[in-house]
Amino acid sequence: MSTPVAMQPVAEPATGRNGPRPAKRLTGFMPLIALVALVAALTVADPDFLTPRSLTAVARTAAPLIVLAAGATLIVLCGGIDLSIAALASLSTVLLALWLPNLGGMATPVVIAVAAAIGAVQGLAHVLLRIPSFIVTLGGMSILSAVALVVSGAGTVRVVDDSPVKWLELYVGGYVPMSAAMALLVVALIAAVVKATPLHSWISATGYSESAARLAGTPVDLVKIGAFCVSGACAGFAAVMLVSRQFSGGPTMADNLLLPAVAAIVVGGTAITGGHGSLWRSLAGALVVTLLRVGLPIVGVPSAYEQILYGVIIVVAVALTLDWSKVSIIK
Amino acid sequence: MSVPAEREPTTSAPVPALEVRGLVKHYPGVKALDGVDLVVRQHEVLGLAGENGAGKSTLLKALVGLVTPDAGEIYVRGEAVKLRSVVDAANHGIGMVFQEQSLVPNLTAAENILLGSEGAAVRRGVYRWDVMRRLAQEQLDKIGSKIDPLARTDTLSFADRQMVEIAKVLRIEQRSQHPPVIILDEPTSVLESKEIETLFAQIRRLREFASVVFVSHRLDEVLDVCDRVTVLRSGQSVGEVATAGAVPRELHRMMIGSTGSDDHYHENAAGPVEAEQPRLSIRGLSGSSFRDIDLDVAAGEIVAIVGVHGSGREDVCRALFGIEPTTAGEIRMDGKKISLPNTRAACAAGIGYVPAERKTEGMVGPMSVAENMTLTKQKARCAGPFVAPKKQAGLVDRWIDRLSIRTPSRDTPIQRLSGGNQQKVVLARWLIGGDIRLLLLDHPTRGLDIGARSEVYRLMRELAANGVATVLLADSLEEAIGMADRILVMNDGRVVTEVACPNGGKPSPLDLVKEMV
Repeated sequence: MSTPVAMQPVAEPATGRNGPRPAKRLTGFMPLIALVALVAALTVADPDFLTPRSLTAVARTAAPLIVLAAGATLIVLCGGIDLSIAALASLSTVLLALWLPNLGGMATPVVIAVAAAIGAVQGLAHVLLRIPSFIVTLGGMSILSAVALVVSGAGTVRVVDDSPVKWLELYVGGYVPMSAAMALLVVALIAAVVKATPLHSWISATGYSESAARLAGTPVDLVKIGAFCVSGACAGFAAVMLVSRQFSGGPTMADNLLLPAVAAIVVGGTAITGGHGSLWRSLAGALVVTLLRVGLPIVGVPSAYEQILYGVIIVVAVALTLDWSKVSIIK
Repeated sequence: MSVPAEREPTTSAPVPALEVRGLVKHYPGVKALDGVDLVVRQHEVLGLAGENGAGKSTLLKALVGLVTPDAGEIYVRGEAVKLRSVVDAANHGIGMVFQEQSLVPNLTAAENILLGSEGAAVRRGVYRWDVMRRLAQEQLDKIGSKIDPLARTDTLSFADRQMVEIAKVLRIEQRSQHPPVIILDEPTSVLESKEIETLFAQIRRLREFASVVFVSHRLDEVLDVCDRVTVLRSGQSVGEVATAGAVPRELHRMMIGSTGSDDHYHENAAGPVEAEQPRLSIRGLSGSSFRDIDLDVAAGEIVAIVGVHGSGREDVCRALFGIEPTTAGEIRMDGKKISLPNTRAACAAGIGYVPAERKTEGMVGPMSVAENMTLTKQKARCAGPFVAPKKQAGLVDRWIDRLSIRTPSRDTPIQRLSGGNQQKVVLARWLIGGDIRLLLLDHPTRGLDIGARSEVYRLMRELAANGVATVLLADSLEEAIGMADRILVMNDGRVVTEVACPNGGKPSPLDLVKEMV
């Protein structure tokens, strides 16, 4: 007898709460809605805002943040977090400024490769020593900051000849800043590779349920190390953008980008618990965060309040996107 | 046959301890409860039977205030009540031992028993250990348990922890003057037979001062321990059976609305086993919880390993999939020596594993049927390094069709499927590559209803017929005997005996139990 009398094609009631809740569906559009609302609000506050000039300024400001957030998103999708991205970017600006005179055009790829290697080392520590990524990268943040201070002599390293990184300051088609275009390219490239290969399955499975992923024989450890490696490379690339703009490297230059980057990821709607989310969401999140940053002075709020805003944004966005079913299990 | 519950003529007892009339609960797209009636008399053990999705869990949740019904009434000792929370239910004397245990592992049994109802054990916010020990001991005495109240919970066996849970639930007596109603949701699903006997003794004891609602998908147990059984089907009570003289067959029929299969285990589909060279051959395998395991499994053979909780059979299974480290011994596949440092190595060797915890280990709930099915054998859906959407669609649809997986589409998140269909997707994961040589099935039918079980059994037979070797950790002895060609009995980390189990010459469960304990 093979008549499956009682098998139901639809969900049994016990799994009913696993479907997408209305709140979850809303968060799918949240970053876009926020983006449009912000642009509208800022335009009302300052009619000059919607001009090519100020929009390119926003795009230029956003570029390093987008790249930083994009890399770290991969780690968050795997269920981890990378707190070292900003410190690593700062260190990378110092290294780039120091190496530019000797290495010239090769300095950029070398710095990105070194940053990627540092990321991979943190990934290895996380995987092999079985330390939570939060702790590994918290320690990494401290170590990398100190290294940056030491190698820079605790001061800004000026770049005399910035011609090898100047191309990032060009404009594509007259309006689009090259740095913003490159940031977009980085996001598109990583997102496309992930989407088109088994990586998407592997990353999601690792993020949603690491034990299930492992028992299915997916290369969980490699995926995580890879994510840390890419995140490191992105931090390196963000550093190149910063140096090209500031003509110098500094041991704390990118430090104030950590909170905005985390905010960008969670505002985009990527679940901090892993699995659910995408790089494109972080791109939108980074734009939202940048607009807020640029917009605060426009509406007359002192920039000292910026940090309060990031704190609130992170807590609220996480509250909205958290995978509660998972948290109740993990605690 | 289906006697309306509230007009049961034999109600000589004053008022039922608990009564449910016409309970209705809707979920989006599903009517989980469709007018359920239920009567729990005082001092009786009432069984609740029904397939998955029949509404058992929803009904239980309504009884302890976790679910608010859309319509219908709940009466406690004849009085209509609204139960809004677990505390509310406890105040009315209704308590539940949950399927997943809810004890805090690093606290003592006493602390767990009194957790949330400390009473006199806390004075001015400070624990008074002597009082706590005494109160906890009182609870344990009620059920005649010999557990030390000051033992840390994580040092107790699973069965002991269940006793602690029952002792804990009985604290609701403190909140109400009346005899309590204790609900046990699938309490036996993770217990081995000896532990089950102890539990049943406790349940019979409970009956003296409480009413018990007992839920289990094992009908023989329901008939064994209960006075009366109410059968649910599609959210309705379809009948009541006094257990004296009742047979499982009758309950099956009521649960699924027709007679169950004569050949539940598809024994007639069991084919001959080729035995010139074993597919899997392990010699002297040792690990932290097992020693000197020898095991041969031929292509097309199903070998079941049985043993009580702690026998080490799960760990042997996990060692064969590269999860549990081994300290000695060798593993050969088709004569070739292999090492299994991790799950990837096992997959590469053509070994597949279906974990016991389907929801947390077997599948990735939010991911689609297609992604879950292709998670392991990525090559099957890829062209070069890239996923080929057309190839994937064809492959997945073919397997959905072949295993008759009921899903709205291949892109539906797997968590929306019923348990049986989820399990079929998990099984398909190992089949799509076409290179599966050995399947390790750890309780593959756990939590599945009869129809779904039968389909999993049929699939196992089909795979065996195609030359797949299978190691089965069965959900019950009956299942092991029904499915296996050979049974290994493990006790305390060793294989104590091996029993041939050919079609037509099956051993009896009693023969096996003797060796297990």
